[in-house]
Amino acid sequence: MKRFSIISLLLVLAVPAVMACMWVDTHNYYLFRIYDNSEFKERVDQVTRDNWKAYLSLSADDYFSFNADDVAEAALKKGDNLMASYVRQLQRYLDCVDSKRREQYSWDYPTKEEIAERNATLAEVRAYAQGKLTTRLRSQHALLFMRCNMMLARHGENVTFWEQTASNYIETVYKDMMKNIYAGALLKTGHGVRAGQIFAEQGDWESLMTQYYQKRSYDAICQEYNRDPQSAVLPFLLQDFVNNVQEAVDGDGYGKLFVRNIERKEAMQMVQLAARAVSENKTPCPAMWMSAKAWLEFLYGDLTQAKTDISQATALDGTEYMKDCARILQFYIQAMQMPVNTQYDNLVSTELQWLMPKAKEGGSYRSALDRIIHQALFPKYSKAGRQFTALALLKTTDNYIDNYLDEMTPDSLQRYVDYVKSPAPTDVDRLVKPGLTIDETWLSDLMGTQHLRLGHWKEAIPYLEKVPLDYYNDKGYAIYAANRSYTVEPWVKRQWLSYGLEWSHDPVALSANPKLTFAREMLNMEKDLKRLKGLARQQRCYDLAVRYAQANHTGDCWFITHDGKGAYDKVGRNEMDFNAKAVELLREAAQTSDFLLKEKTLFALAYWYLNDEPWFQRKWSSNTGTLVTYPQPQTRHYQSWEALLNFEAANPGRTSTYIQRCDEYQTFKRVYNKN
Amino acid sequence: MLALLLSACAKQSPVEPSNAVYFWRTEFRLDSTEWTFLSRYQISTIYCRYFDVVMNDTTPIPNATLAFADTIPAGVAFVPTVYITEDCMHQWHEGLARKIVDRVVQMNATNDIRGIVELQMDCDYTDRSRRHFYTFLEQVRSEARRHGMRLSVTIRLHQLQMPAPPADYGVLMLYNTGDPRNFEQRNPILDHRDVEPYVRHLPDYPLPLAAAYPVYRWQRQVQGVRIEHTVEASEILGVKKMVESMRPDLSRRIIVYHLDEENINRYDNDTYEAIFHH
Repeated sequence: MKRFSIISLLLVLAVPAVMACMWVDTHNYYLFRIYDNSEFKERVDQVTRDNWKAYLSLSADDYFSFNADDVAEAALKKGDNLMASYVRQLQRYLDCVDSKRREQYSWDYPTKEEIAERNATLAEVRAYAQGKLTTRLRSQHALLFMRCNMMLARHGENVTFWEQTASNYIETVYKDMMKNIYAGALLKTGHGVRAGQIFAEQGDWESLMTQYYQKRSYDAICQEYNRDPQSAVLPFLLQDFVNNVQEAVDGDGYGKLFVRNIERKEAMQMVQLAARAVSENKTPCPAMWMSAKAWLEFLYGDLTQAKTDISQATALDGTEYMKDCARILQFYIQAMQMPVNTQYDNLVSTELQWLMPKAKEGGSYRSALDRIIHQALFPKYSKAGRQFTALALLKTTDNYIDNYLDEMTPDSLQRYVDYVKSPAPTDVDRLVKPGLTIDETWLSDLMGTQHLRLGHWKEAIPYLEKVPLDYYNDKGYAIYAANRSYTVEPWVKRQWLSYGLEWSHDPVALSANPKLTFAREMLNMEKDLKRLKGLARQQRCYDLAVRYAQANHTGDCWFITHDGKGAYDKVGRNEMDFNAKAVELLREAAQTSDFLLKEKTLFALAYWYLNDEPWFQRKWSSNTGTLVTYPQPQTRHYQSWEALLNFEAANPGRTSTYIQRCDEYQTFKRVYNKN
Repeated sequence: MLALLLSACAKQSPVEPSNAVYFWRTEFRLDSTEWTFLSRYQISTIYCRYFDVVMNDTTPIPNATLAFADTIPAGVAFVPTVYITEDCMHQWHEGLARKIVDRVVQMNATNDIRGIVELQMDCDYTDRSRRHFYTFLEQVRSEARRHGMRLSVTIRLHQLQMPAPPADYGVLMLYNTGDPRNFEQRNPILDHRDVEPYVRHLPDYPLPLAAAYPVYRWQRQVQGVRIEHTVEASEILGVKKMVESMRPDLSRRIIVYHLDEENINRYDNDTYEAIFHH
């Protein structure tokens, strides 16, 4: 049992670390999303890429990134000397940017001379660009001019140039980029408020976050509102604040000791401010404020007021995005609170008809649908006994529902099949049921497996007989099914596969359906058990125990009852505890007077996986700097080893080699004798 | 020979008394509050982070290099400081010491920073990386001397248990003392309970030491939750008292981490006076 004990120890030691890394999706996506999150930088990048593609007459697949040589060559072919000259200068500017960027991570920090040279290049490009401001490519050159100014820290000039010249240019992506540089220049020259407005109007959330990172509190938002109730920065600040409140309220186990006090007090101040903003009627988007108010109230448990306010919010003015946000919040709040009845069905079907097509586009609508279904609709319908409607809803969010089906009883699974195959009973079902399909082979295997897990061998057989061998050959576990046997005693020999075999991609050809063979053998062996007596019965009990232990999720033949195996697996909801059954059978076998059978049985009862608690605890001793083993005599595991020890003492010199060689047993003996 | 051995065994002389600050941003620019702070508390040394050294695949590279947008205060000793991540010292990188010192020297030259007489290395070295780090420090020290600079090094509490690094003096970092994952129980910036187990090493620690105390706020997101850590003034002063009782020369040079308007405003004048009390 050398290998087994090492594995066991690793498991014991690994658990805390692994647990810390485990991640469970809470589906707790933000619902307060009041603006389109698409980033300014990505948008302008896309447009400029499209522009270059069009200029070069290239398809999306052929264009990778800007290459000045390619564009200059194409320009010269077209006789477009101005463009050729522009891209060469643009490349000189980009080289300077690259050189500046490399300062960050290159060992060769530039000398004074190199910096002067770079600045001289930038000055030349700047002068060139300035000289082309009256050409047909004036927008591009103006952008180049402002970019050089930015690199040369001539922010004041950029402010003047934009205000006096570039702001009058026609609307192009280059103008958008110039305005963005202008906002940056405003920020650098101490005009943060105006800069923030422009960043917000442009949807440059990255710059806004940089600018406002330290100013996302109630005080800062209140100050901004008092300064200008129509400030474009307010949606950004408000969304960030409200979603931070959600995070603080959610808690998720990370205590609040050092969490910034953005909890009730500050949130309630924000509720007051939102109410003021709506009543003062100075904001163009009261829907945003009222939605924030309702959502904060909901988060802090004032459900009645939240319901009233969100209903009001849906009727107020705001952008389309804000109105959609109000509707989503209303759906969520109502779906969480209302009882499941016809009215509830009507609400769900109406809102899903609106939300599902939007969710197909992805983004915040998709995450809102996910949250509403996972946190409201799925649990509510499940609790109301409409488990299949709940599953169909879950399926609409592309979620894997096979786990739920896998855990069902065979009867429930049959009812699920009937539900899928019959006409939809309600509007909600009609909406979501089309996502459900049934594969007959999959169904037969699952029905058979579910009966196997319950020890219903006879009932399992007809289902498993319908499953062709190819179905199992394609399963991930086929390699184990082909190379392991449920007749091997797991406490004597673990059936590890060699690395090459385990990770081989060669197709597997099973000679028989492993589940069916098992079911038939168990049926016959248990039928016989009833008529056997004495040693024959005790031996049969032992043999059956071997099979139960192997087919359990901890056994080497776990594939008989499960599609996969994990370190945290437990006996499932609708499963018989195969290990408990194995222990029961071993106890009967242990009554034998046959020396070898008794020895094997006692050894089996001390098998790690047949015992819920280990016979020891290991704790770190800071005194010795080592792990110290503390025996746990109250555990069944300890008592099993002790029984084997007593058996050995009563039969000196007779115990088998495999027992003598078991390092776990030797450890037990050492600890036992020490205590 | 005997004299040489005796001098090698003798303790080095303690650090010169002074008030100091760390500057740990990516752009060197001081606002009026910061200028006033330097003057009010007679700050005579600024330990300024020049760049970090991090692993890029298998090679260490500079990162987050400081940009100079302001003049260095006159009459203040400026100490270029380089933070090197611990994994850089998991294996030996030939020539790294020279690259770092050369880069520091070049940054000084490019940005007209003169009169530099000290370089500081900052690394959270462990038993795994210590051997390489100490050899590396020997080389840095030798390279730095060529440019007229002595070498100081940061010492974290857990590093007090190890042999002292080859440097002219150490700065005992009395911050980042806790486990950030365990912030529900302890303040990860500074908690006297995290300092206590290590103070017994202080009296015999063979390197002259300065002490650095935290005045910063640490804001971070843990699974989306905004977590904010700051240290109560009483905690800082309590720890100061504790460590100085074990090692009185820790009151000679006192550094606060780090210079920033927000940090300056976080504590009142009395607190800063008490922190800088020698």
